[in-house]
Parts: sequence; structure tokens; C-alpha cells
Amino acid sequence: MSYQTLLDAVIKGDFKTAKEETLKAVDAGQNAQNILDQGLIGAMNIVGDKFSKGAIFVPQMLRSAKTMQECVEVLKPYFQENAMTTKGNIVLGTVKGDLHDIGKNLVGMMLEGAGFNVIDLGVDVAPEVFVNKIKESKADLLGMSALLSTTMPSMTQTIKTLMDSGQRDDVKVIIGGAPVTRKFAEDIGADSYAPDAGAAVNEIKKLLNIT
Amino acid sequence: MEPGPIPTFQPRLKVLNRRQALAIHTAALEILEKTGIKMEHAEGLDMLAGAGGTVFDKDWIRLPAYLAEEALRSAPRQITLYDQLGNEAMPLVDENPFYGTGSDTTFTLDLETGERRRCTLSDTGNFAKLVDGLENISFAMSMGNPEDVSNVDYIYVYAFAEMVKNTNKPIVFIADRGEDIAKIYEIACMVAGGEDQLRQKPFLLNYSEAISPLRFPSQVMDRLIFCARKGIPICLPSGSNAGGGAPITLAGAMAMGIAENLVGLIVHQLAAKGAPFLFGPNVSALDMKSAVVSYGCPEWSLTQAALADMRDEIYGLPIWSFAGASDSKVVDAQAGAEAMFSIITAMLSRCNLIHDNGYIEYGSTSSLEMVTIANELVAMANFFTRGIPVNETTLALDALERVKNAGPQSFFLMDDHTFENFEQALFLPKLLDRSRYDSWEAEGSKDLYTRSNEEAKRILSEHQVTPKDDGVLKEIDDLLKAL
Repeated sequence: MSYQTLLDAVIKGDFKTAKEETLKAVDAGQNAQNILDQGLIGAMNIVGDKFSKGAIFVPQMLRSAKTMQECVEVLKPYFQENAMTTKGNIVLGTVKGDLHDIGKNLVGMMLEGAGFNVIDLGVDVAPEVFVNKIKESKADLLGMSALLSTTMPSMTQTIKTLMDSGQRDDVKVIIGGAPVTRKFAEDIGADSYAPDAGAAVNEIKKLLNIT
Repeated sequence: MEPGPIPTFQPRLKVLNRRQALAIHTAALEILEKTGIKMEHAEGLDMLAGAGGTVFDKDWIRLPAYLAEEALRSAPRQITLYDQLGNEAMPLVDENPFYGTGSDTTFTLDLETGERRRCTLSDTGNFAKLVDGLENISFAMSMGNPEDVSNVDYIYVYAFAEMVKNTNKPIVFIADRGEDIAKIYEIACMVAGGEDQLRQKPFLLNYSEAISPLRFPSQVMDRLIFCARKGIPICLPSGSNAGGGAPITLAGAMAMGIAENLVGLIVHQLAAKGAPFLFGPNVSALDMKSAVVSYGCPEWSLTQAALADMRDEIYGLPIWSFAGASDSKVVDAQAGAEAMFSIITAMLSRCNLIHDNGYIEYGSTSSLEMVTIANELVAMANFFTRGIPVNETTLALDALERVKNAGPQSFFLMDDHTFENFEQALFLPKLLDRSRYDSWEAEGSKDLYTRSNEEAKRILSEHQVTPKDDGVLKEIDDLLKAL
């Protein structure tokens, strides 16, 4: 079955049509995971690509992401219990002392669009809080954000706390935010760095070996 | 009856009518009364509740409109900043505009290599010295977050001390919390000669921000209340940027930013009635592709022009504003275009304290070249805004008669009237180049970026900053060593 109408509806941000098409696919006997991967995540891959190229605006990208999320909700009942697989678990947060989150929120929404399960801890997140959530959720990746150069040391501290807890090798770490640089990421032992939300999604897919 | 000299009209840009101004102000009051704000500072919350606010949801509070109106009435309509030598320097009132640099950039353009690199303490020193030597730049800010300080907890104290050592002009500074602002205050008292002296002749102004939408963190309020009680002028603009922390439509972004600013003003005046408060939010726009807060956009120039009109219609308090900045990553035509747009509109709309001159890369990078260019652009804006004086001398009918009578080889360039008046009558550029092609080529075909780079270097090597007293410098260094 071609998902073209569903893809177009998600890309355009047309909630009504997208949800209808999702249900049509279910009625046509399509596998729920398949609809998710080919139809919904597939659409968001196209959106993400357009966004990275500057061909669409942030509000349009977010509208598509919201459309996709609405369709996922529609689809959830058709998965067997716990059978819906995501691309991975990601813990996100703005570090201790910092209250800025627009960039991090954008990254989170784009990652959900790409099929990841995102646990967003919000702002002013202490190292132990990050580390405990990583353990509890068996996270594959930690993403940290800072807007103030004075709160960047919290990133160093969080990585140290992660190491002390013995979990450093089990999780990839990526950092970002206005004052953050690739060099800083290397210096503190993070696995990667991204300058903006679009690049972050691509970097994360690379880190986790996902196409 | 003698009619007196013809007054010179000085061009003024008006962007808002009274109905618009009142509607935005009313909306701001409605936000305070109906939506409420989140006051995360316990004392601040108590003060507001005690004054008539209604607490809900733990630390959210709704405020009656009269609190805002009372605070607007008790705040002083004039804030005079002095230089560090005790001379009146910046009377912030009515239509007086003053331009200065900005704070907090992560990077700076290296003057020798042109490389975009992390800032150091000596960069802050250089920017302060450059400001000291530029006639149209009135105040200094750090132009960087230095990465080479010994104790990062006190980064803003080091930056402040570095500015004090390298300029005598007024300083607008950043602090993090109660502890470091107290240290900065100590240094300022050393310079002024005591707490009373500093209160009488403040040379500094604190720049703090609430977080849009509607959030007032504890540390921010600590600084606000400290400044109120010590009589240190302060501004508290939130980053109520359209599409980010604020609604995408400019009227709504202004209303929200003003509401947030009024909260700061209310707490400020409750802490110390009559203490100096510089009014206004930062209402720029989020770029809809990159999500950066834009520093070159026409939206910010428009909203601050609107704020100036609201000042004249309603608020009566001097306002915080910006100019001379760009989203360009280099000092190129985009940087020049965006800087000129905001510089001329800020002056035409009569903004008061106009910061961020010299910013590129939406405030992530500072540039000495850009500050130098801004200095020239301010001079150009000044000339335009002064208007055209009309009197016997400027109408020059005598000179015309003289040139006509002197015969066919006579023209105005060689006339006495031109010699006597050309320096006041025209704008004489120093950095903007008008030379003939061949001589420009012979000089090395230099573009504006190159010329401003050379000029910045020249000022830094030649300009003498009046040094501070050795005793004061030692006191400051002792304080820094103890951090």
C-alpha cells in the first residue's frame, strides 16, 4: 500500500487527513509498526531534510511533528502491549543553573519526529537527576543543552557523575547550545556536539548507528 | 514684537498613535491582572502579595493594575549616569540618545588575524579602551565572556574590574547572583570614593533579565532588590522575542514584555521607592528558520521605536534599547546595512540607552571593527537628526551676492563663508571613504572592514585612558585576588 497520501498530509501538517489516512492504513490490514516507520517517521525524515536545507520554516516543521504525534496516538491502540519499538531512548535536559530551553525543546520535538522516545527533564537539571533517569530508562543517549557559558561546567560535572556511576560506556553523550563548541565537547569527553536542532538529529542518528 | 530665532525642527520618527499605545499598555495590565506571573523569589512574592497581589498555584501571582501605575509614578523620570571621574555623562531622560557596546558574547574577532575565537579578559579591556577613545560611544559593556578567569563563579567581577581599569566612561554590567553583584558594588564604591558618593553619582547600570514567558528566577530578583536598595540604576528587560518567549505578533510581544518589565519595576519600587529603573523589554524576533534571536531584524527597531512612543504617551521613564548589531558572521555589507538600520532608527525614535553596538553573529561574536564603524554611523545619524538650522548665516544671501559679483571664475568652495561654516554645515566622514578612485587604489584599495580594523588598532595603541589612582587599583586587585 502506498503511504503517499499519509506522507503528504503529515508534511503539510493536515491533522484531519493524516489521522484519517492512518486509520485507513490500519483498516487495510497494514502492520502498525510498519505504518509508524514507513508512513509517519518516513514523513518526518523528509520534513527534517527539508528543514535542514532551509526549505521550510520552524513553525511548519513543528506543525508536521505535531501531526505525526497525533497519528502516533491514533496508532497506539493497535500495537500489542509494549510492542511499539522506537529508535531508542533519549534523555534530554538543560543543565543545572540554566533556565533556557527553546533550542532543547526543538531538538526533542525533532527527535520524536524521527522515531525516538524522548524523556525531557526540563531545565536546571542536576547531574544526579540526569544520571538517575539514564539508569531508570536504560537510555541510549544523553543530550545536554546550555545557553549561558557560565553553566557549561555543569556539563563537565554531569559527565563525571555519569562516569562515577559506572554508566559512561552504556550511553552516548551529545551537547549543544549557543556558547558550546566542538572543542569544548572534545575537551570534556562528550561523544559529539551539534550547532542546531537539525544537525543534532543527524548527529544522533550517526552516534546510534541509525539510518 | 520680535519673533526670535527660527527653531530647528529635529527629525523624529513616530511609529505608534495614542490609541495603539493605550491598547498595548492595557493589554500589559490585563496580563498582570488575569494571567499572572511566576515569582520564584520568596521575598519578592511576599512583597507583591503584601502590596495587593493574589497568589495562586504556589508561586504564581496576579497583580492589580494600580501597582503598576503607582510604580510608574514613583520611579524617577531622569537617570543621570556619571563617568568614573565624577562628571555628568549620560542624562537618561526624554529624548536623549546614548550609544554603547554589549555584554556576554562567546566569541570575538581577533584584531590581528581576523579569526573568530573565544574571548579573554584582555579583550574586555580592549573594548573598554576603544569605547574610551571613541567620541560617539558613551558607555562600555564587557563584549565577551572571558574564558581565562581564575574563578568562573566570579567571571562578571573580573570583567567589571577589567572595564574599570580601561575606561572612565559609564559601565553597564552583568552579574549572576547576590554574591558577585556585591563584589562589583564594592569595586564601584572604591572607584567613586564611597557608598554615598556612588549613590550620588552612579557610573554603572546593571542589566538583568527575567525569562519570558512570565518567569522571575530567584537570582534575578536578588540582583534587582540589591540594586534598588543601593540606588544602582538597573534595567530588567526580558527576552520577550516574537515567536520564542513571546507571541509572534509584535503588539502581543510588546504587551507581554511590558507586563514583565512592569513586574520588575513594581518589586523594584516596593524595595526602594524612587530608586532608578531604566524601562523596557527586549522585543526582537526569533528567526523562523534558524531559531536564533535576531539582532539585525527590522522588528526590534520597530518595537523599540514603539516603546519610545509609549514612553512619551504614558510611561515617562527613560528606556533601554539596542542598535549597531548584525546577524552576519562577518563584518560585511549585511553587517553595515543592519547596523545602520538600527542606529538611525534608534536615534530618530529617540531611544535613550542604546546598547549592543559592535555585535555580529546575533550577539555571539563581538568585533572591535564593528564598534569603530558604529561610531561613524552614529555621527552620521547625529548629523541628520540635528536638522537644518535656518537663519541669516545659513541662508547665505550675502555670500551668494558676493560670489555672483566676483565674476565667472568664482564659486563657493573658495569663499570666506564656506571656510567659516563648512565644519558645522556638513558631515565630515572619517571612516567612510569618498576619495577618488586612483588615490583609493594607491592607498591599498582598502574596504571598510580593513579601514576600521586599522583605526581600532590605532586607537588602542595611541589613546590614553586617564589612569585611576594607584591606591584604588591596588584595592581592586586585592579584592580580585581574594576571590
